[in-house]
Amino acid sequence: MTYIELKVAPRREERLGTCIEFGGTVGEVHRQFCGGCLKNRNRSFSQGTICQLLPATAILTSLQDSVVIVHGAVGCGGAVHSQGASVRLGQFNSGDKNPKGALWLSTNLNESDVVSGGEEKLKRAIVEADKRYRPAAIIVLSTCVPGIIGDDIDGVADLLREQVAAAILPIHCEGFKTKIMATAYDAIFHSFLRYMVDGKDETEFAVYNNEAAVTAEKIRRSRLVNLLNVSSMTGPDQKELTRLLNKLGLEVNMLPCDAHPNAFQIAPFAALSVGVCPTHDDYFMTYLNEKFGVPFVGGQMPIGIENTSIWLRQIAEKLGLEDTAERIIQSETEELHRALQPLLPELKGKTAMLSAGEIRTLATAVLLQELGMDILAVRPYHYDEFGGTEIGKLEKVNPKIRINVATAQPFEAVNLIYRNKPDIYIGHNSDNVWAAKCGVSILPIYGTNSIYSGYAGAYDVARRICRHLKNTAFNEHLAKSVRQPYKESWYAEDPFKYIKGVE
Amino acid sequence: MPNNRFIERPRSFCSLGGALLTVTALPGVIPILHTAMGCGGSIYWNQYGSTGYLGAGYCGGLAVPSSNIQEKDIIFGGSDRLEEQVRTTIELIDGEVFMILTGCTADIIGDDIQAVVRQYRNEGINIFGAETGGFHGNGYKGHDIVMTVLTGEFIETKKEKNKNKINLLGIVPGQDAFWRGNLLKTRALLEKLGLEVNSFFTEHDTLENIRNAGDAALTVVVSDFYAHQTAKTLQEVHQIPYIVNPFPIGPTATEAFLKKIAEALDIAPQTVNEVIAAETQQYFRYVERVADAYNDLDWQRYAVVVGDANYAPAITKFLADDFGWLPELMVVTDDIDDEDKPKINAVVTSLTSHYPVTIAYESDPTEIKTHFWKVVPRKTDSLYQNTFSPGFVVGSHLEREFATDIGAGHLTVSYPVVNRIVLNRGYAGYDGSLSLIEDLLSVIAAQR
Repeated sequence: MTYIELKVAPRREERLGTCIEFGGTVGEVHRQFCGGCLKNRNRSFSQGTICQLLPATAILTSLQDSVVIVHGAVGCGGAVHSQGASVRLGQFNSGDKNPKGALWLSTNLNESDVVSGGEEKLKRAIVEADKRYRPAAIIVLSTCVPGIIGDDIDGVADLLREQVAAAILPIHCEGFKTKIMATAYDAIFHSFLRYMVDGKDETEFAVYNNEAAVTAEKIRRSRLVNLLNVSSMTGPDQKELTRLLNKLGLEVNMLPCDAHPNAFQIAPFAALSVGVCPTHDDYFMTYLNEKFGVPFVGGQMPIGIENTSIWLRQIAEKLGLEDTAERIIQSETEELHRALQPLLPELKGKTAMLSAGEIRTLATAVLLQELGMDILAVRPYHYDEFGGTEIGKLEKVNPKIRINVATAQPFEAVNLIYRNKPDIYIGHNSDNVWAAKCGVSILPIYGTNSIYSGYAGAYDVARRICRHLKNTAFNEHLAKSVRQPYKESWYAEDPFKYIKGVE
Repeated sequence: MPNNRFIERPRSFCSLGGALLTVTALPGVIPILHTAMGCGGSIYWNQYGSTGYLGAGYCGGLAVPSSNIQEKDIIFGGSDRLEEQVRTTIELIDGEVFMILTGCTADIIGDDIQAVVRQYRNEGINIFGAETGGFHGNGYKGHDIVMTVLTGEFIETKKEKNKNKINLLGIVPGQDAFWRGNLLKTRALLEKLGLEVNSFFTEHDTLENIRNAGDAALTVVVSDFYAHQTAKTLQEVHQIPYIVNPFPIGPTATEAFLKKIAEALDIAPQTVNEVIAAETQQYFRYVERVADAYNDLDWQRYAVVVGDANYAPAITKFLADDFGWLPELMVVTDDIDDEDKPKINAVVTSLTSHYPVTIAYESDPTEIKTHFWKVVPRKTDSLYQNTFSPGFVVGSHLEREFATDIGAGHLTVSYPVVNRIVLNRGYAGYDGSLSLIEDLLSVIAAQR
């Protein structure tokens, strides 16, 4: 992967052929993708959605001891007002009883900056941020305005690197540059790999003052794994995955979310990198492997019972821990299945529709199939080669499951819901309300300080779906009294009517 | 917080956000964003967290029609994409009026949205356009930009004026999380003077009423700082004069407000005095029965008030002039030019209680602490110290950590309102100040 020499990580459209416009069945989507026929198209009607900046601020404001500077107009970054709730929760969970929340600045670009450039303002912001907050890292996010007027954020960072104590990490996440918001994950890792992960080994610099300490550190590292968490993971999710890895005898270096920047510096010395979602982590793990020889396992999200077992087996295989893993899997799944027994009759045959990031949506659908539910449709935010693993599992149970590749676009969702009338919609924050207005019960697909991952997550998802189905009054009444903004004729139309030709 | 430097955790939307929240608050008006794909989501996530969990509504949130222009549109121009998006929006979305709102990208590349507006107006579509790219300013500015377009272009001009009819401005949807309650309460109060009120954003307002607002005799702006361009437009285009009054909270401020309106509209002093007497009596009906606890439990507090140009002076005045609290410091968080500061300050330099309040203009939470420690002595180990205790911080969610640090009570009123749910609550007028009393004292009572 030679991308790292470039200033900017490539777009997912180019790197992975990722696409965000499709309507059909799960069988079709994968065949078309593999056959090279799944191309990016356009929508002649589209709705406001998420750009790179949103996942970037979600991840980066969670980092400890860091300041995020959003270089743009004053509204870019405003999402942090709601994302900050998770950041505060993270800080609270790590023991801060009066958490400060997300620390971020806006360079507040105005009309005169658009004319004369925003670099000076950015420089002042970096210098002042270093002085005022004394952070370990200053993260600069570029938005549409500097992207168009041509501010050189990398140049500004280079210029100031000697002047400020903090590490400066310029990150390109201009909203107009890519249709695939997941490009943000590459953009973030790109910058951290260029400016934070240097591979300098502290044991060689006499930080450890004796041979025994160096040996002890070496032994620790032989069991240290990088766990690539994602911003949609909650504290309880992280705890569950850490619990399972600890059972394998491994120590976890968790990053990027909620991590201290130091976690990136130790990453090259881990025995293994463990992914939880290929949408998020392939860029980082691949590079760490190429540059520093850290092996990795990726491609399997530990959501779903069998999925969690596969995830554990893949990790164990790399480290020669197969027997231990099998023992863990056996005892864990036995206990889980016993716990699930009383819930399964309530879930049998219940229908669901899901919507969120690619892997999250598909893996959660696989879990629901394990629980005996019928999947009517899945709405991944994008589709690329990583989707194939889970699509294959879904297809095996029912090749007719509908798939609608769309980053939100609730007009398509609502049309599908009217046709299919699922018992429950399991969707992304802010997608859900449109299904709720159709009278459908909702389980948010991530967050709310709940657990979704691992074996404990499988149980909790089952338990929570049962809870939602126990009383559906709120959304049923809502549907009777509020309107969707679409004309009645829309519900008789093809839900994918506005997806038009290849770019 | 001069415009030429960064802002820590900004306390506003961008102008596009303010405009979008304004449009989604209007009856029957459908926004069409001509922006990059993330603007709609970014604003929605912002409003979700900052305006008391204000949801998407009829056609906001991630349902907002948006051209989602890409790099190729930035290079070759985005007008064709906008034209297509407008066509499909009219085809798919059930709305009466359409309002195109541009983002930074479209404004910088200079797409001619008015050409698209003209094209569809010629086809008989009720469509308008406003240039609201975020770099033009904050959410208050965006509100003013889009309301200027609405009042200038949508409202029909009428020569004959109705002397009992007014337009109400100055409460900004979204920037003020309590906008619905504040509008309803202000409107109800003005109706008691026998006035017909066009307040644009309440359930009592309709598109038809707004279209016919050109015969109002007066525009009342309940803000020293917001929506003034809209008021000027109503004056210039529709010959409707306007008066500006500080946002009124509590009996003292509201009495002065009502007298000012009565004078401007030539309402008989007897009428206004009767309203004031009845409202005051009503206010004390309730206050009488919290007076026991206020006095028995010693609920007087030192206070710091942090808020926008509406809330900071209004709450400071209520606390000092009606509620008997001690507002040591008022921090106004808007970016206000020096020449405009005296009119904002006037509210607290002319308090009927003459309470001496230190005034600061600052937005960064970190710097607000610095202002506080200039006014208040730090705690020492001494047994005998006269400090800011018992204390209370009325501000935004951003002040919670600070309030906790200094052991003070805290109530979120001003943007961002993250830790409260707001439906129809409002703080304006006599009635609103009762809600404010409930909320302030509930913070203290919750510890019992």
